[in-house]
Amino acid sequence: MSKNLVNLCVNPCKMCMPMGIVSAFYGLKNCMTILHGSQGCSTYIRRHMATHYNEPVDIASSSLTENGTVFGGENNLIKGLENMIELYNPEVIGIATTCLAETIGEDVPRIINNFNIIHPGNKVKFIPVVSMGYSETQYEGFFMALRAIVENVDMVPEKNNKVNIITGMISPADTRYLKRLLDSMKVEYILLPDISENLDGQHKESYNRLPEGGTSLEELSLMGGAKLTIELTTFTKEHNSPAQYLYAAYGVPFVRCSLPVGLRDTDALISVLEHAGGTKPEEIMKERGRYMDAMIDSHKYNAEGRAVIFGEPDFVYSAVRLCAENGIMPVITATGAKCGNLKERLEEEVQGVADFLHIDKFLILEACDFDTIEKYAVEYGANIMIGSSDGRRIEEKLRLPLVRCAFPIHDQVGGQRVRMLGYDGSLELLDRITNSLLIRKEHSFRGEMHDRYYKEEAGDTSVDLDKISSLKEVAGLRNKADIILANKKKTETHPCFNGCGSEYARMHLPIAPKCNIQCNYCVRKYDCPNESRPGVTTEVLSPEQACEKYKRVKEGLPNLKVVGIAGPGDSLADFESTRKTLSLIKREDPEVTFCLSTNGLLLPLYADELAELGVSHVTVTMNAVNTTIGAKIYKHVDYMGHRYFGEVGAAILMANQLSGIKRSTSLGLICKVNIVMLKGINEYHIPVVVEKAKELGCEITNIMQLIPVAGSEFENIPLVSNREIMGMRKQCGSILKQMYHCRQCRADAIGTLDNDQSINFRGCTGCNDIEETDRAEEKTFLFAVSSKSGILVDQHFGHASDFYIYEYKNKVIRFKERRSVSKYCDGAEGCDGMGGMNKEGKMEAILETVKDCNGVLAMRIGEAPKQKLKEKAIETFTTYDRIENAVRVAAEKLCV
Amino acid sequence: MEARILDERKAFIVNGKKDIGCNFDAPAIKCDSDSLSGTVSQRACVYCGARVVLNPITDAFHIVHGPIGCASYTWDIRGSLTSGSDLYRNSFSTDLSDKDIVFGGEKKLAAAIEEIIEKHNPKLIFVYSTCIVGVIGDDVDAVCKQAEKKHGTRVISVKSPGFSGNKSYGYKMACNAILELIEPHKNQAKIKGVNILGDFNLAGEMWIIKNYLREIGIPVVATITGDSSCETLIKAPAAQLNLVQCAGSMTYLAKKMEEEMGIPFVKISFFGVEDTSASLIRIAEAIGSGENIQKAEAFTEMERNKLNSFMDKYKKNLEGKKAAIYVGGGFKAISLIRQFREMGIETVVVGTQTGKKEDYEVMESLVGKDTVILDDANPAELEAFMKQKGADILVGGVKERPLAYKLGIAFCDHNHERKHALAGYEGVINFTEEINLSLNSPVWKMVRG
Repeated sequence: MSKNLVNLCVNPCKMCMPMGIVSAFYGLKNCMTILHGSQGCSTYIRRHMATHYNEPVDIASSSLTENGTVFGGENNLIKGLENMIELYNPEVIGIATTCLAETIGEDVPRIINNFNIIHPGNKVKFIPVVSMGYSETQYEGFFMALRAIVENVDMVPEKNNKVNIITGMISPADTRYLKRLLDSMKVEYILLPDISENLDGQHKESYNRLPEGGTSLEELSLMGGAKLTIELTTFTKEHNSPAQYLYAAYGVPFVRCSLPVGLRDTDALISVLEHAGGTKPEEIMKERGRYMDAMIDSHKYNAEGRAVIFGEPDFVYSAVRLCAENGIMPVITATGAKCGNLKERLEEEVQGVADFLHIDKFLILEACDFDTIEKYAVEYGANIMIGSSDGRRIEEKLRLPLVRCAFPIHDQVGGQRVRMLGYDGSLELLDRITNSLLIRKEHSFRGEMHDRYYKEEAGDTSVDLDKISSLKEVAGLRNKADIILANKKKTETHPCFNGCGSEYARMHLPIAPKCNIQCNYCVRKYDCPNESRPGVTTEVLSPEQACEKYKRVKEGLPNLKVVGIAGPGDSLADFESTRKTLSLIKREDPEVTFCLSTNGLLLPLYADELAELGVSHVTVTMNAVNTTIGAKIYKHVDYMGHRYFGEVGAAILMANQLSGIKRSTSLGLICKVNIVMLKGINEYHIPVVVEKAKELGCEITNIMQLIPVAGSEFENIPLVSNREIMGMRKQCGSILKQMYHCRQCRADAIGTLDNDQSINFRGCTGCNDIEETDRAEEKTFLFAVSSKSGILVDQHFGHASDFYIYEYKNKVIRFKERRSVSKYCDGAEGCDGMGGMNKEGKMEAILETVKDCNGVLAMRIGEAPKQKLKEKAIETFTTYDRIENAVRVAAEKLCV
Repeated sequence: MEARILDERKAFIVNGKKDIGCNFDAPAIKCDSDSLSGTVSQRACVYCGARVVLNPITDAFHIVHGPIGCASYTWDIRGSLTSGSDLYRNSFSTDLSDKDIVFGGEKKLAAAIEEIIEKHNPKLIFVYSTCIVGVIGDDVDAVCKQAEKKHGTRVISVKSPGFSGNKSYGYKMACNAILELIEPHKNQAKIKGVNILGDFNLAGEMWIIKNYLREIGIPVVATITGDSSCETLIKAPAAQLNLVQCAGSMTYLAKKMEEEMGIPFVKISFFGVEDTSASLIRIAEAIGSGENIQKAEAFTEMERNKLNSFMDKYKKNLEGKKAAIYVGGGFKAISLIRQFREMGIETVVVGTQTGKKEDYEVMESLVGKDTVILDDANPAELEAFMKQKGADILVGGVKERPLAYKLGIAFCDHNHERKHALAGYEGVINFTEEINLSLNSPVWKMVRG
């Protein structure tokens, strides 16, 4: 259960028993499985397996419905078996029950019996497995199926020289390895199950839908006479153990080994096989040497590993042992199942690593879900995860690399070829783990070292800034409280400060074409109405034109509250026209809110005057407060008649931004800072900028995406995703209020944030009226269209429950409305609403619905209604076409 | 292994009729009925249908009341994206065990709901009933009602025991759950704008559609259910018009909203250039002003022009190829046949899991007599007909993909797990590119020798 919620499992770290059962049966030759239950179980399991193995997975279902649930599913199951035999012709059928079948009490052995009575010649071997999904997990299900197989196969009890090898859920590639190992040791064996071919097939000229690989019934029948069983599982309970059964029923002695993963457990298996008469596998012993060599080569990197290991008990145990022998610390070990002595066995392993690394805490969790794993992963300092792709959400969220090596792997290819068995499989897995650690380090150590050790040179501008401010403050502090109050009030009706839901509109006046700095992300270009981004506008207005436009827009948009000056250049670069525009509009409308955007270079110069002109809101785009970073963003800065480049330019700009903002806030202006997030340039620096903005008394910061502009310096800079922006905003939200709804409006935007209407106010006054055309001679027709899809004329006239009504006028086709037939039901007999109408009643209603139309379009129509329509002078057109085309064709015919 | 078609399945398979005109005598396809046991149907269950529709509601707790499998296999497997909460990407399960089956799971469920409300103060909780809950007789409705009453949080029971019908029945149950959520808010003042029904924001498709509507000046009130939240959904009754895209899952809801809330609906489609353009103009005509219509016409024309040269370029690679389609619903199958036709590709096999009689009628009139149409097909049939008809590419779901590959047939992912948008003009580009890159990949030349 979850760490946070005791009564719920949040993001399960386990699957159901039928999943394990189906997987096990895939290791038999010419075998199919049917799940006795409702259709979904088999479909979900097929999807889960098909995505992991990249193989077709055919699992039948008895497709129980309400009926079968109430009266029993015998008929369904018998029918299902018959159909499977006909379609697939299998030798063996595994019959697994599901939650549903078990709960309604289905007796599968009895049903099998009845099947054999109906089909006396049946040769197919049925193997039933009791499996309610709610009982245990896929781990137990897998061994229950293996146990059921050995219990049901007819054994040849005569002694033979074979060794039974029973394995848990391993990959097809690992299964092939195991066979190679056994062959190279010259051990005669029977492998149960053998999924090596069935779940990792070849591409062949012809495809066989029944898996041809796997262990045959004939081989299985020899298991009872084998000289030894080796069962490769650590935690399988006695009642699920096939080895235990073979021992009890046929006296086959057995040895249990852990999966041969890592040095110790592979050694152990080889040694057991040698005792059973196997010869030393020379080639494989070379692999052993190479694995040891690799262990040494990477031990120092591995010691930095803090692993989260999750999955089935046997897998988790093997992965922990592999990590332990390589000095990787499993800080969290988690399984969704519950097993007897798992905890003690794991503790032993983990404690050893913890001791030498002086790590004082680790966790071993049973019946665990991913919610819990996620909660602890950070706390326990994890830097790598090992398990199935179910860990991918944590990988994404916490940026913890995940080594995918267990079922299921849904987001990468090659699940069927994942290796971890034997020396070379262990080496392969170890390399993947080590390399993940190395990649992580390579990507992060520069930044980490920089943050930890690098201290910036003294060059802080704040001394200067304080001087400027304190001097001016003395003079400007009258009525500050009043100004602040008034400006706060204006903020309430400012859409940019209130979000998209705001009912208030704003207009941006494009009056300022000049700019005094060159940002690397900007190419000043006019007349690009397709792009909405700051600095792009259609027309540049003179102050007088701007005032005229304001008046015109105000008439059209009474909710207009804010006039913004946002470029397309810098609003302070040509202060004359800005000043003039503001005073003209102020004279027209003293209540208006002025909002001004600037790069801040000249803000110290004009802040006081802006306050006097009634500007209440100032936005400064400030992308950095560090000159090194700033020099990467700004190409040059034109200041006091000189052009400054590099860090000098950036330093001038920043000093002025800071003092300008400080001055503005001290005058009671509401200040916002815009920050353009530039990947690889200022992304890590943004919180510092936000801190600074807060310190200067800003209200809010707006972290924006870079909109790359062709031809600009930053044309090819990597895009910042919405997600990254949101993440940065969230992070900075703890410092200062963030703007989450920025639309990056055009410099001539008009309207509410959600509805730009600038296109309607372009050009001269009075041009908006749509030209009236001469329509005297044109005809008007109404058409009723019978359509199911709403896109095509694709329905029988008589089947229509509604009609799409189109008007044809002036050669233009317009959709008018959708008419529901039920609304035209005039109470005639048999017409009791749509569902219950009888045929005649419905036809009456339909005819009523279309009676004012000139034509009816349908895919098909009967003779009788056609006649009736004709009597009412309504033409019929039968066609199959897109509605618009069909109406056009029909109208043209009517026109003639 | 030879292809076999079971006798009982023959009624589910017919041929196209495009070239033989109206033939009323030909027997209609059998569809919309229970799957035949043992045939390896590609269908899922009621729970699946309900979960598909509701899962994109981003800030809801989706609790699966039942054993672990149902929650495990549906955890975050859909490509629905969010601009808000991430909550829906989790899978909550009451993880019923033996004991609960015997004594009932009501208490556990009640405790789970209680705990979530106390710790997370959510706005909305859905509780899905699974097979087992339908059998052991837990009164989920009562538990939900009680929790609602006690805490004032919306806790909605989704009646989805797997055996109680098929996937379409699950859609209906999901629609009922949405109705239950929005019903208390049905007397809102109308505002200008539309609801979008039946898009699930796979790979951002809802965002694409919303962008188009913004271009033509039509406000969107609520999206159902792609990238929706409790707050946006309850605004839905204020809309003037419902736009219905995935007709199979959402027509029921649209009809109910029309009856109960007086919101008319129109069906639209954003698959393919022509459908997208016609739909946008239609929407503008239905509720917009002359200005909206002008914008829509200008916008669609511009987009169409942009695509012309693109399509010309690709058509050369695609013309004359043969496609097989096996998808969930009729709407998707029909729009795919037409999109293929726009590319010069003929559809030779087409089938669906949950298509209705009317859907098949449309398909029949779209394809010729050599084309096979099948309902609730199984892998053996798909294999047989794809081989027989010489399909070059299959469009389908995840389960069908390996089959196509084994048969040496190209594949297009048109399912809920995809990570690329197929709707709108952007979708046309993605779809065409995907068809081309699979169909004309060099691997086929290699493996076919």
